[in-house]
Amino acid sequence: MAKKEEKKDYVKSGKRLDGRKVDELRPIKMEVGVLPNADGSAYIEWGQNKILVGVHGPKEALPKHKQNPYRGLVRYVYRMATFSVPDRKNPKPGRREIEISKVSGEALEHSVFLEKFPNTAIDVFVEVLDSNAGTRVAALTAASLALADAGIPMKDLVCAVGVGKAGGEIILDLNKDEEDAPDAVDIPFAIMPRTEEIVLLQMDGLLSRQEWQKAAKLGMEGCKRVFEMQKEALRKKYGKMEQVSEKK
Amino acid sequence: MDEEQGEAGLQNSEQAVEHKKKQIVVPGELITDERKKLGQHVFIENGKIYSDALGITYPDAGVAYVVPLVGIYLPQSDDLVVGIVERETVKGYMVGINSIYPSYISADKCRDMLSKGGIVSAKVNSVNEINEAELFDVRVFYGGEILSVSPAKVPRIIGKNGSMLAVLKNGTGCNVVVGRNGWAWVKGGDVAKLIDAIKLIEAESHLDNLTVKVEELLKAKKVE
Amino acid sequence: MENVIWDLKADKVVSLIKEGKRIDGRKFDEYRKITVKNGISENADGSARVRIGNTDVVAGIKMVPLAPYPDMPDEGTISVGTELLPLASPEYEVGPPSEDAVELARVVDRGIRESNAIDFKGLCIKEGELVWTIFIDAYVLNDDGNTFDAASIACLSSLNQTKVPKLEEGKIVKGEHSGKLKLSKQPLLFTFAKIAGKIVADPCLDEEKAMEARFGCAVADDSSLCAFQKGGGGALRLSEIDECIEIAFKKAKEFRKLV
Repeated sequence: MAKKEEKKDYVKSGKRLDGRKVDELRPIKMEVGVLPNADGSAYIEWGQNKILVGVHGPKEALPKHKQNPYRGLVRYVYRMATFSVPDRKNPKPGRREIEISKVSGEALEHSVFLEKFPNTAIDVFVEVLDSNAGTRVAALTAASLALADAGIPMKDLVCAVGVGKAGGEIILDLNKDEEDAPDAVDIPFAIMPRTEEIVLLQMDGLLSRQEWQKAAKLGMEGCKRVFEMQKEALRKKYGKMEQVSEKK
Repeated sequence: MDEEQGEAGLQNSEQAVEHKKKQIVVPGELITDERKKLGQHVFIENGKIYSDALGITYPDAGVAYVVPLVGIYLPQSDDLVVGIVERETVKGYMVGINSIYPSYISADKCRDMLSKGGIVSAKVNSVNEINEAELFDVRVFYGGEILSVSPAKVPRIIGKNGSMLAVLKNGTGCNVVVGRNGWAWVKGGDVAKLIDAIKLIEAESHLDNLTVKVEELLKAKKVE
Repeated sequence: MENVIWDLKADKVVSLIKEGKRIDGRKFDEYRKITVKNGISENADGSARVRIGNTDVVAGIKMVPLAPYPDMPDEGTISVGTELLPLASPEYEVGPPSEDAVELARVVDRGIRESNAIDFKGLCIKEGELVWTIFIDAYVLNDDGNTFDAASIACLSSLNQTKVPKLEEGKIVKGEHSGKLKLSKQPLLFTFAKIAGKIVADPCLDEEKAMEARFGCAVADDSSLCAFQKGGGGALRLSEIDECIEIAFKKAKEFRKLV
């Protein structure tokens, strides 16, 4: 896809192409427990992104030779619907989806008490129904919710955000137009919020060390804001309770 | 059977959920930085105690623990479970108990022969490091059916000393045995009303006045 | 492990049917609650999400300009794909479409194609060179029985929403459209299960596990049928098939309002 020739002002007077500030997230909605057959599930809308996650497990990991006798496995499967992108996507998973599945599964592994479930697998299925940049971080955020909804014991939730650069500015949560900027840098960033441990980090583009410092700080803040929304979504399911306690 | 049900209701320091101050916690959330005895579903990090599950904690309790609102069943010794016989083995049977693996019953622990598809109740004898269990004290059920409920809600369905279960039995006329594993054997009575009552308990297990609400539901006239 | 509890449930389903009842209390020809939500993906040219009871299916359309088949140089075509997503049921595995998924796709395809609802000649852009291919992809998100009818409604509703992308010199102009896709018929699929010698409409999962055979028929309009599919290892009598067709035509009138 040819990049547009006309110069875009990716950030002008503190406003981005879609009117957001440099540290502003797109609108995000999260819902937990949306699939009756799954052990845990979540749905997220993040900007135009619409992603569904279902969790099955822990269950016996088969074939047997794949089992780990000391801890469970996280099997993360990230897939995109053919109609989730502008140019119809071939239903067969491509290398991008396979890579995302791998790094996302590794991100979640660190947060789950896998030693409690030797020989088992926890399957996380992600289906992207609509996309506009940042699907992997939105999916990971929802996946962590789905794991909590399934009752899988965890050390912490995993929250994720995209951070990067466009038009010379360090910005939070790039959308598709910004990803297409000539100097675009896209950094998917995921942490376990209590300890600030980074469990997913990738980068695409050219960045100076100072720019990275700025981006890292922005990424941390962004993740923590996402974390607050995750807690809300989990509590909302059982929300009535808080009011009842207060009556006493 | 009722006594066992009552005990099952009090398994693993799950105390009465009616009176104390309670709080919903998410995985990784701080329970307390005081020194307390550790109960279920919590872990220690740098001297502080955190929840590992989405559940309810009682900040005033002497033990730091979390009662999960969701989750699969993992067998623990002395649990009463309801199972379905899957197959015979050389010297015993494999019985599905709604967990990761089926459990093993040695033939010498059963008075009668078990048949495939049969419903039984049993107690968990031992559990190994990969969460596989062996059962004993097997009783066979004849007739009836199995209901599936959320394992996390079983203590609430049984209630303190079996109190909620008694309400359910009296209000529906059903013969009911609820396994800690989330499967319940039911025979006779108004099964449809029982299912409605259990759904109510599952949905509002963490709210107050649940017993009253359940009693009201059971009293309501049957709609033909 | 799940199989054991299903065998028990299957017994209950059968004994209730013999008493003239269904496991969820419905009448024999009654469908579960159906909801249709359109426009669930902006990248799709048309999309819809359909729930029948707890069965949940999403469908999306992408119109792609491609070279025509050599033997039909002035006709466009449709291509229906379905996936039974692993998150829809503990029984579904990751991997290429299973034979169940393929059957689902082909039955839904037949219903739309054979009804002549879409004017394939009208999809011609430049004879011999470029025609529209309508890719219809349905994803089963939760399987509680009768994914066939849910997929069929989702695909039809998506088609009714579809906007034809604008073309400039054979390439799609992103974000611009040249009108809506027109369907001359509203083909709908109706699926039945035979259990203990009786016919029930819209089988839920428990009923599907207990059924002897399955029968689906697609209705093109008030008097035409456009697809049949018998599934499952049992057998059907002619009278049973006629019973299904009777119910299908009756229900079609109601369902056309939903899509």
